[in-house]
Amino acid sequence: MDTDYYSIDSILAENHKIPCKFEIDVQGLGYIDGGNEKDIKAGTKMLLPYWLAPTLSLQDWVDVEIPQPFSAKVRRALAADARSVKLSNLVGGTGTWYGFGKMMADLLREPQSSEISTTLINAFKLRLIDLMDQASHFGGAASSIGSSGETGEGGGEFREGLDATERELFTLAQGSVQRTKEWYETSSKLRSV
Amino acid sequence: MALPVSLHASTTPQELEFIAGYDMIEIMPSVRTDRIRVLSGTYGPLDALRTTKVPVWMALHLKARKKCRIVSPAWLSVDYLQDRLAEETSDKAFSLLPFRYAEIAKLLLDSAAEDIESADKIRLILKDIHEARQAKSREGLHQINDVNLRVRNICALELNDIRPSFVKSMDILIKLSPQAQQSHEEEDTFRDWSMGDDSYPVAADSTMETEW
Repeated sequence: MDTDYYSIDSILAENHKIPCKFEIDVQGLGYIDGGNEKDIKAGTKMLLPYWLAPTLSLQDWVDVEIPQPFSAKVRRALAADARSVKLSNLVGGTGTWYGFGKMMADLLREPQSSEISTTLINAFKLRLIDLMDQASHFGGAASSIGSSGETGEGGGEFREGLDATERELFTLAQGSVQRTKEWYETSSKLRSV
Repeated sequence: MALPVSLHASTTPQELEFIAGYDMIEIMPSVRTDRIRVLSGTYGPLDALRTTKVPVWMALHLKARKKCRIVSPAWLSVDYLQDRLAEETSDKAFSLLPFRYAEIAKLLLDSAAEDIESADKIRLILKDIHEARQAKSREGLHQINDVNLRVRNICALELNDIRPSFVKSMDILIKLSPQAQQSHEEEDTFRDWSMGDDSYPVAADSTMETEW
């Protein structure tokens, strides 16, 4: 997500694929999408990783489309109820939907760019609420067995649908709740010297 | 030796407890000594007839050797805390409590419970206060945006609790914001930041150790 060249987050986010359509013939690179052809013909559609796209599209060799994780269908689902959308289905369990979205917003031109940004921000804020509630529940419930029973169902699904960025936040929040709870329950009595 | 990952995120509650040990507290010594000179300052002389102010860590060490009796701070009483609890449960904002109330209360209740009136009752009230405030600080996260967050009267432990997730979420929100606004907002982020911090304990309106 950073513009930092060495940022691991952005390197991973750039690995996501976007649909591209070749405008020209390319010789000898037919193997790229695993096909048997020797050359790529103009008009071929292919999924290329994000890091290839800016160079190629600037030269007008490919035409870039909005990838599936940010399609109108997904955006409508998010507007309806952001919490029930499973981001991990869109980009895979270790994928970064937010990072990918930010890169798409940078790549695209104006009306689409701010549309995607707004979708990202709203989705993040809404999901953050549930994320925090669950994290504190699981942090505090570490030592009690039966309390995860009632929220188990809906909570489990939500947690499966988190993307990598959200999972990191979840772990952070859960860790800090756990530490506070442990400290609170152990005695600070000075042992006799 | 690298710092363990669990310590990257924020200070631990044990570290906060240690820092809280530097707050001053009144004791009634049962021995007589000259002035005590330690790295953090000079305290005393201790006199069996007068109360003296010493750091909490020193008070607890003296207490462990049965050389003093600790005078319970004004805010650590059933009435005061019950008033605060009523405020916490009825109001959406945080009530006024000493910045390090949780750590100091724990230190005193664990090592010097006999010097504090109704220690058990106080423990229960404190637990309720603690939970109410924690719930509120979680609530506060719901209003997060990418510019600033004003919280009055938050205390050290709650602050430490929400710090890692809060900082990371704000980071993500800043990155997601449309490019045009980004450079403008980054300047404001530093100027408007008005949440208290452990190293600059000046949360708006929080009381510091000298008041009680």
